[in-house]
Amino acid sequence: MAGRHIRFSRRMLFTWFMLAASILFFAPQSWTNKFQFAFARIFRWPLSIGRNISLSARTTPQTNAPANDKEAQYKSYIAYLEEALKQANLKIEKISGLKDRLPFQGAKLMLADVYSVSMGPLRCELMINRGHENGLEKGQFVLANDTIIGALSEVSARTAVVRLFTDPGSTVSVSLRGTATARLLMQGEGSRTAKIKMVRQKAKIGTQVMACKMPEFLDAPMVVGTVTECRRNPEPLLWDITVRPACDIQALNDVVVIVMNPES
Amino acid sequence: MRWFRFAVLIILVAVVQASLLADLNIRPELPLILLVFFAIYCNPTHAIVTSFAIGFTADLIGPVMGPHTISFGVCGTALAYLHRVIAVRKMPYQALAIFVASLVCGALTHLLSFFQGEPLTAQIRYVLLATSIYSAVVGPFLFLPAAWWMRIRIDRFSRH
Repeated sequence: MAGRHIRFSRRMLFTWFMLAASILFFAPQSWTNKFQFAFARIFRWPLSIGRNISLSARTTPQTNAPANDKEAQYKSYIAYLEEALKQANLKIEKISGLKDRLPFQGAKLMLADVYSVSMGPLRCELMINRGHENGLEKGQFVLANDTIIGALSEVSARTAVVRLFTDPGSTVSVSLRGTATARLLMQGEGSRTAKIKMVRQKAKIGTQVMACKMPEFLDAPMVVGTVTECRRNPEPLLWDITVRPACDIQALNDVVVIVMNPES
Repeated sequence: MRWFRFAVLIILVAVVQASLLADLNIRPELPLILLVFFAIYCNPTHAIVTSFAIGFTADLIGPVMGPHTISFGVCGTALAYLHRVIAVRKMPYQALAIFVASLVCGALTHLLSFFQGEPLTAQIRYVLLATSIYSAVVGPFLFLPAAWWMRIRIDRFSRH
């Protein structure tokens, strides 16, 4: 009996797998995304290596310099990396500096490393190495280079997903700096841009776009990006504004989460 | 079927897809290429198991859990049974199979993701088409290393 093989028909096998997949599909996302977070945690090392390769491939300057010059270039690059490593120890100071520059009273700034970046037309997200255990909650804003890049969309015990404001599913209440416009709604477009549609006033290229105050999440308006294009809407007298992030998100290694009301 | 090698392969593919290719606007869908590979070169029982396993792995690196598992499972099973009727031996036919599977799987995945609250944008049609073409062009060339790793002989044709 014990040695007998259990055989399933193909139809039975398919049915069981479909049932399991359906349970996965209908189960609450807060449960199922634990699988995703676990995968990111377990494979964070190969994921970060892959990301670094992709990043270096993107940023390698194309020069016609001879091999010796290139060697010197690499040496200086290594020296730069070593220096950057030393500076990593000064991250705490960086946080305190940030606190001085930004208009937050009593807010806690949580520094987090970026595990992975997804920047496609359908999805613009970062995964970071901080979660509930560090006091993070869904909806909290995320900063990079003193500008807002997005908000937390999923939070697990030790990891979180940042939905960038360029993600097609992201909407942020914003205003244009230096203009008398009321609150506008900025919708992500994917592929590194977001759009503010049907604005009554034409915006100048380069105008800064500010995220509006949001109770419990943001105490003061902060820069989100800059206007890169302003086109006429098909409706008369209205304009569509294209906004780009104020920093290069793909090059980010760490971000800062704003915890407005820290528990302790 | 060498299941340990299979597990290593799908994890590797997931890591590459989520890190090296993640920054590209249009990228080949490596898990889907694997799905077609196993649907063509394995017997239908193994094809069903591999399709769901690859779908689950694709969900691990996707925005939500479930849509890939369902769509890959359905498409992989259908393709495995279809392979009993239509032979997919030559590279152009393999490319065509990848193209069609990518379109169907992609559309089904986005539809299911939409039911889970993920946004559908106007760019989806363009992205689906471009991803399918990219996968179809790259896919047949990846069959050879995949077959070598899985110790599957692709020069010998058989219908299971």
